[in-house]
Amino acid sequence: MENFEIRFSGSGGQGLILSAKFLSAALVAEGYNVAQSQSYEPVSRGGQSRSDLVVSRGQAAFPLSRGLDFLLILHDAAARSSDAVIGKDTLVLVDAELVLNPPKGDFKLLSLPFTETARKLGNKRVANIIALSALVAHSGVCKMETLEQIVRTKTPPKFARLNMEAFEAGRALVLENAE
Amino acid sequence: MANQINLQGNQACALGAIAAGCTFYAGYPITPSSEVAEAMSRELPKVGGTFIQMEDEIASMGAVVGASMGGLKAMTATSGPGFSLKQENLGYACGAEIPCVIINVMRGGPSTGMPTRPAQGDIMQARWGTHGDHPIIVLTPASVAECYTETIRAFELTERLRVPVIVLIDEVIGHLVETVDLDALQPEKLVERTFATGSKDGFEPYAVTDDMIPPFPRPGDGFRSHTTGLTHLPSGFPTQNPAKAEAALVRTTDKLDLHADLIASNELVQTKDADLLIVALGISARAAQQAVTDLRADGIKAGLFRPKTLWPFPESDLKACVNGAKAILVPEMNQGQMILEIERLMARDLPVIGLNKIDGEAITPAEIVAKVNEVLS
Repeated sequence: MENFEIRFSGSGGQGLILSAKFLSAALVAEGYNVAQSQSYEPVSRGGQSRSDLVVSRGQAAFPLSRGLDFLLILHDAAARSSDAVIGKDTLVLVDAELVLNPPKGDFKLLSLPFTETARKLGNKRVANIIALSALVAHSGVCKMETLEQIVRTKTPPKFARLNMEAFEAGRALVLENAE
Repeated sequence: MANQINLQGNQACALGAIAAGCTFYAGYPITPSSEVAEAMSRELPKVGGTFIQMEDEIASMGAVVGASMGGLKAMTATSGPGFSLKQENLGYACGAEIPCVIINVMRGGPSTGMPTRPAQGDIMQARWGTHGDHPIIVLTPASVAECYTETIRAFELTERLRVPVIVLIDEVIGHLVETVDLDALQPEKLVERTFATGSKDGFEPYAVTDDMIPPFPRPGDGFRSHTTGLTHLPSGFPTQNPAKAEAALVRTTDKLDLHADLIASNELVQTKDADLLIVALGISARAAQQAVTDLRADGIKAGLFRPKTLWPFPESDLKACVNGAKAILVPEMNQGQMILEIERLMARDLPVIGLNKIDGEAITPAEIVAKVNEVLS
């Protein structure tokens, strides 16, 4: 793919912007130019939060999203806020537990247990890494090894093992779903 | 491969300042500009510089002016409410010709407004925020790379001309992360402040020179000087003599006219054969750039004039690129500010139409395309 747009959306504090930063770094490592923007509310947790990646070869004229290729929704707070930028070719990934009213329409929607899987790993805060890994495993926007390397090197040592377990769990979710 | 990194607009302003030789930052963090302060607090100690978090924006602007009077390259950063507070001491810097750089990351206003949402509502405040006729330069980057290069240019202009320079960016550009290669953006040779040298007898800190820029007396170099916010003579002491007062004030504004070529900077996108010219800055210019491509694909000859130097407004450059345009469209995230200047310059010759948005969202390429189609139909 030459140009594509990805949105991570949910509730403030879920680590959406961090996931976007990891993927952004992986895409740059593979030679892409990335424009990353974010939108959040003036609260420390909660409210709608999102981060968009506009990915291209060379600098994008307009750095904000216009039509999403991939959309991740981790919380109901953001469930319907991207309707205007979803098209028939958009792949939408939603959290099976926290997104109660997913967008409806003529596009592919996958509901996966990101939060439930994170809870089983012992910390529901790694749902962002599970979802990131699942998104890349499913879409192939970059090599899993490139992303794994970024997640590994940018995670503080204290959480390295947990994040790598989350990374593997995300990949496994996609494999199970494909079967 | 080039050294490609992901960098945020605000961080790029800070790194640009360091690259320009800034060694002093005083500020009071405020959304959406806080990352400038954060980055400066990390970077300045590495170059032996000073970072101070002051008690408020008034004090931080005072500290910046003081540091510059001491001979340092000094900067602060803020957003709407803080920018309002900085205006008094900024006026002092304009009047006393003290170099300084102010980054203003525009958010929704007035007052506390929408702290995390973008706006372009400080276009007129940047020009006229402090009272009285005063010289000021305002630069408007539209990308992360430009946040870096325009902050460097801001330091070069303020140091060279002894005029405060404001770098005016909107929240989208300030918080945008883009892939950049800083190695390719390094300045060749920095333009520096001219410090007073030579005879100390009869030294005049505001002497009228050919270039209208008085050499700056660096404290400790032994030049007697007096600095005041009062209208002053070449000696630095106050005057209310009508002829002398007017001459002193006119010199500081004439100085910008004399060095207009150094200050002006624009980007032109397909303006030569444009039937419709868009004038925009910041994120609105990025939307306009995409809109020009989309319109051209539909056979509509659109073009973009983007002032990188907003004030002094590039009057002659705009007039020179209008050519055969039938109308001018001005998309801006306010209720119509830059359009006033364009109407003043062009409205007798052709229609000037605004596209305005103050809902906290950026103007999109599709909205510009729709407006252009409406204007041309």
